[in-house]
Amino acid sequence: MNPSRPLSLQSRVLLLVLGFATAVWLGAAVITWRDAQHEIDELLDGHLSQAAALLLVHAKGDFDDVIDTPVLHKFAPQVAFQVFVEGELSTRSANVGLEPMVAGGSGLSTVRREDGVLWRVVVMHETDPEVTVLVAEKVESRQAILWAVMRSLLQPLVLALPLFGLALWWSVRRGMAPIHDLRGTLESRAPHAAEPVSLQGMPRELEPLVQTLNGLLERINRMVQTERRFTADAAHELRTPIAAIRMQAQVAMGAGDDAEERNHALQTTLAGCDRATRLVDQLLTLARLEAGSASQLAPVDLGAVVRRVAGELAHVARARAQSLEVQAEVPGPVAANELLLGVMVRNLMDNALRYSPDGACIRVAVSAEVGVTVLQVQDSGPGMTEESIAHLGERFFRVLGNDQSGSGLGWSIVRRLLNVYGAQAHIGRSAELGGLSVTVRWPAAAIQSEV
Amino acid sequence: MRILLAEDDAMLGDGLRAGLRQSGFQVDWVRDGMAAERELASGVYAAGVLDLGLPHKDGLDVLRDLRARKVATPILVLTARDAVPDRVLGLDTGADDYVIKPVDLIELAARLRSLVRRSLGQVHDTLCAGTVELDVAARRVISHGESIALSNREFDLLHALLRNVGRVLTREQLEQQMYSWGHEVESNTIEVHIHHLRKKLGPDLIHTVRGVGYTIQREPTDA
Repeated sequence: MNPSRPLSLQSRVLLLVLGFATAVWLGAAVITWRDAQHEIDELLDGHLSQAAALLLVHAKGDFDDVIDTPVLHKFAPQVAFQVFVEGELSTRSANVGLEPMVAGGSGLSTVRREDGVLWRVVVMHETDPEVTVLVAEKVESRQAILWAVMRSLLQPLVLALPLFGLALWWSVRRGMAPIHDLRGTLESRAPHAAEPVSLQGMPRELEPLVQTLNGLLERINRMVQTERRFTADAAHELRTPIAAIRMQAQVAMGAGDDAEERNHALQTTLAGCDRATRLVDQLLTLARLEAGSASQLAPVDLGAVVRRVAGELAHVARARAQSLEVQAEVPGPVAANELLLGVMVRNLMDNALRYSPDGACIRVAVSAEVGVTVLQVQDSGPGMTEESIAHLGERFFRVLGNDQSGSGLGWSIVRRLLNVYGAQAHIGRSAELGGLSVTVRWPAAAIQSEV
Repeated sequence: MRILLAEDDAMLGDGLRAGLRQSGFQVDWVRDGMAAERELASGVYAAGVLDLGLPHKDGLDVLRDLRARKVATPILVLTARDAVPDRVLGLDTGADDYVIKPVDLIELAARLRSLVRRSLGQVHDTLCAGTVELDVAARRVISHGESIALSNREFDLLHALLRNVGRVLTREQLEQQMYSWGHEVESNTIEVHIHHLRKKLGPDLIHTVRGVGYTIQREPTDA
């Protein structure tokens, strides 16, 4: 398992939404903070300046002594002022010294006074007589106002956030319900259930997922069906030769003194064994091919394969006085698996020999045209009807009314291999020999030039 | 007993024909559904062995059409289709027995005898008339408590007559029940066999109905 397991969809949605909400709230708080601060500064700076202007007007009169104004309100220490006339301190509040709070300059400024406290100071000058007015206000009192504003704004938010989170969690859970339902549906399916998952009431987002899933289910189902039919067909096809073997063996046992009957039965028993063996071989080949284990392709000389298979089948042809002609002198390069190509060539040649009468002629030719390698198998047998040709390649299809004990699988194998190798087959009547003609063409793409 | 075998596989059909002959049946072998239906409808067969996967006409269709035509010949379906629904379908379509390949020859013969026995309403596999007993399975005839040696043809002839006790069988009917295809039957063959049977079993058992044929009469003391 991956150690860092991906977050669940639900956690993902929760985290994202909560994160965004918090960020938006924090952003809003910051903006509010700055706005409020700005407004408060503007207002209070205005008041300071107003107060300073007022003092300036009053200071135009004569002042002989320094006047210390009394502290008239408990918040009075939050503000301070000094009035200097002709450089001499004329009036001051109780909480400032004799020296000017700000040395020189005019207008608004923020200073840290000797007591370590920040003050907002406005300085105003007037000439004739020369009067300087300083009015100050503790900065912290402004901060206090700001905090009061922010508190009233942030407190409900801090309280609301967990509630919002909870509500969000519940909503997401509700919203995800179809996914949970889908999981439940899939979990409770029987392993071989064939019907697709219903799209009824499925949210739009899940529809493509379910459709893809249904497609997959259908493909799996088709595969299982094929497999099941194959097993049934195989069992069916194997039973007949086995029944024949058993029957013939019992006939041989019961033949008593009839030597001819016993010999015939024993010969047929052996032939039945050969037939069953061949059927099993073909079934295994086909099963392997259908399982898709067609192994990788390598350059193979078709001519060499044809010559080898012809050598192996020579005795079959000889036994029935059939002539097997091979024209494979030119190199016929194809990309294939040599063993399976042999199986395919053998099936084609075996079919031609098997379904042609005694003494027939079978001609196998390999030719290389431009970019195309061609294998042609012709015989002088009875050929096939259009209808029979259409049925070729269906598993266990056999042409009616012939005595040959074919497995009915040869063409299935050939067809499967043709698909694997990208080759095409044409089946028709042989112009030269009058029987069946099978032409297999490997197009350029299926040939590797470096043979 | 004459049996029709319908089987398209050359090797199996050959074996079945030989095996059933060894078991004392006269076997005619057809290899497609149309022929099977035509032959079974003729009514000369005591029973039929029918493969289902037949060319030209599927065995089940043959069975259905035969039953629709009120052909009551017992039919044993011998097939590789082993699934339960297939068996049910086979039996419901009109098969009297449903046997899966491969089958044991001796069992097949026993099942065929059983089918024929039931179709004749008999309880035992032994047919009796007077002092003569015929054991179908053992192919043995006992008269007056003693085993009588009969040739196959004589046994088949006696068997045919005993299966139809009380009915008069013509020479042609007897020939049909005794001989499968490919046998040249001389015009007096049946008479010769009857003659031999009378010599071995006594003259009173088999009656000649002049101008018609032969019969074994139902015993008056039967009840």
